Amino acid sequence: MPQEQHSAYNYLRPSKKFPNVWCSGCGIGIVMSALIRAIDRIGLDKDDVALVSGIGCTGRMPVYLDFNTMHTTHGRALAFATGLKLAKPRLKVIVIMGDGDALAIGGNHFIHAARRNIDMTAIVVNNSIYGMTGGQYSPTTPLDARATTAPYGNIEPPLPVCELAIAAGAVYVARSTVYHAVELDRYLEQAIRKNGFSMVEAVSYCHTTFGRLNKMGSPVDMMRQIKENSLTLASAEKISTEERTTKIVRGVLHDVEKPEYTALYDQLIARVRQSIESKSPQKEVTRDGQEFRPYRNPVSG
Amino acid sequence: MCAVKLMQGNEAVSWGALAAGCRFYAGYPITPSTEIAEMLARELPKLGGKFIQMEDEIASLAACIGASAGGLKSMTATSGPGFSLMQEHIGYAAMTEIPCVIVDVQRLGPSTGQPTSASQGDVMQARWGTHGDHPIIVLSPTSVRQSFDLAVTAFNFSEKYRTPVILLLDEVVGHMRERVELPEFESVARVERVGTNVPPEWYKPYGDSISDVPPMADFGTGYRYHITGLFHDVMGYPTQRLDEIDPWIERVHRKIDRNLHDILLVEEDTEMAKTVVVAYGATARSARHAVQLAHSRRHKVGLVTLLTIWPFAEEVISRIAHSARRIIVPEMNLGQLVLEVERIAGRTKVVRVNCANGELIKPQRILDAIEGR
Amino acid sequence: MSDIAVNEVQKVPVIESTPKPKHGPRGRVIIFGMWCKGCGLCVELCPTKVLALGENEHPIVVKPENCTACHWCDTHCPDLAIVVKKIDE
Repeated sequence: MPQEQHSAYNYLRPSKKFPNVWCSGCGIGIVMSALIRAIDRIGLDKDDVALVSGIGCTGRMPVYLDFNTMHTTHGRALAFATGLKLAKPRLKVIVIMGDGDALAIGGNHFIHAARRNIDMTAIVVNNSIYGMTGGQYSPTTPLDARATTAPYGNIEPPLPVCELAIAAGAVYVARSTVYHAVELDRYLEQAIRKNGFSMVEAVSYCHTTFGRLNKMGSPVDMMRQIKENSLTLASAEKISTEERTTKIVRGVLHDVEKPEYTALYDQLIARVRQSIESKSPQKEVTRDGQEFRPYRNPVSG
Repeated sequence: MCAVKLMQGNEAVSWGALAAGCRFYAGYPITPSTEIAEMLARELPKLGGKFIQMEDEIASLAACIGASAGGLKSMTATSGPGFSLMQEHIGYAAMTEIPCVIVDVQRLGPSTGQPTSASQGDVMQARWGTHGDHPIIVLSPTSVRQSFDLAVTAFNFSEKYRTPVILLLDEVVGHMRERVELPEFESVARVERVGTNVPPEWYKPYGDSISDVPPMADFGTGYRYHITGLFHDVMGYPTQRLDEIDPWIERVHRKIDRNLHDILLVEEDTEMAKTVVVAYGATARSARHAVQLAHSRRHKVGLVTLLTIWPFAEEVISRIAHSARRIIVPEMNLGQLVLEVERIAGRTKVVRVNCANGELIKPQRILDAIEGR
Repeated sequence: MSDIAVNEVQKVPVIESTPKPKHGPRGRVIIFGMWCKGCGLCVELCPTKVLALGENEHPIVVKPENCTACHWCDTHCPDLAIVVKKIDE
């Protein structure tokens, strides 16, 4: 039977109705299958994985997967995930969001989750449109593109997703596309393995709304356009900065080490309890092991 | 902990939360509730609990709900402007039946209003602030000791009925200091959420319960299920079928309605009086004083103090309306809970005593109303 | 056949041509029609044109021998409706 042969089926909820709810040819299904491959390769226990999503087409992903799944409110998935991770640090928390969910209404939570460097993986499926509600422009819609709320062309410049994540403090940031699905699942694997806030931008397309409004053709056509428009980091360095802004640059854009939030909080708890036990609350020990000294402004002293 | 202390209302709420087993706080500072956050930032790590200051109130309640799904009793505290921001997630907690406690220390509103002035202006918002038909439990303490007790009760109701519970203080009760004698934490009765031990494949996150409260498995304990704010079936999967939506609506309202004997906390001292004062929150303190003064002048006046303001104590008020000729409802707003009293009182006269400018209602004003002035 | 070869080997050295490419597919394509939505991604983007759109918009395997088990189709199917199994030697 096919179910026994496709290893991905081990990760699907057998009681859920399939085929999935997305349009025929939608890239979100490709991201889901890449995510399954990544989790399978790492060998995570299904009970140890939590998948949290926001609202939108991408937000419909968790229900299909046999993990601890939570479909939350628009833009706030990272906040829910923060609470869940703090309550159960053992869980591998993966947060899946669309571009509008993560960067418009959720922009603030995106920045702060990255800033805290809390151990979770944010996957932003970027199809540059608000698909679920019929095709309104999003923070990543290109200039001059049409959308239902930009009938004369979009006049808002798109937000650089990966640069924002890096600036906010994420420790691992990568971008790939649904055409490069195998590369995508490799980055997802690295992102999930990484301890800290990792972000993977999965560039996709919405042929039903964006494609139709901008006359870009079928899923196959849009898939081909993504392929033609994308290049690796190495190739991107060889072209002009101006040209680079029109291309999709794939690769691992950032990969550093930084102290992770839940570990820092556990250390804080240990410090506090130790200072109580040693019955010398006056001698508060700070994060770097020194005695507490009043803060000195490094500039004015 | 000392046996007798001079304590602030907000501090009593924090101790009550810790006594009830709260081990997660996510919040955003806002006057006049900030003391709760500051105290829990200090105390939670000592107990191995987690505190986080989130970037806004919306994220705060979201983190609380996430932590509660992960198994920790969670709380957040705010005031009017933050409470307005939290409405969406109060609805989310009601829809997903995830326990959490939201403390609203009411300030004078609307908008930024007057952060250090008292009011009871969020009463209707606490009931109906979030969109859609949903049940909610709202408790309102009148003293510092009651802030401790009702904080414990809020957690217990929340876990027992799998519902968000709002603890509605006001700036007076929150910021005033009174002499209190708190009980030993070990002696405080805690209610834990009902878990499950059926084989995971059989677990229905929103079904299988004669009490109308489905057993709740925490994430990461071997039970993998789906939580969503969409209307869902007993497995938690989104649905649009009427034969799944209707039963949910009935069950979720029934789980509160059939337990009013437990949820409605009312202090009654009426003795068939012809005039009864119905009050809650800080105003109940003035009402108590006014009723004492009235008794000293030989007036036969009763006092009903509502500790649970939502669901509304319809049966109590209806019974009083039968025997009383006048019901006096003092509120630090332009008349919110009195609308419920008027709805139920029928032909019995309802007298409003209102103040919505941040000033307390003095006992003399209530006494004037009792004496018919 | 062999007699002639032996004779030819003795007289004229036969340069063996490069080994003939192995015929036959490296992968076996299984299509789960119930989940397929007929988007055509697998058909259009298969590098060796193993698939074609059949009736009711679902793909059918038309050139099974061309399959190189590159897995493009099964990693790109949004519905997990196609899988390629490597054929063991």
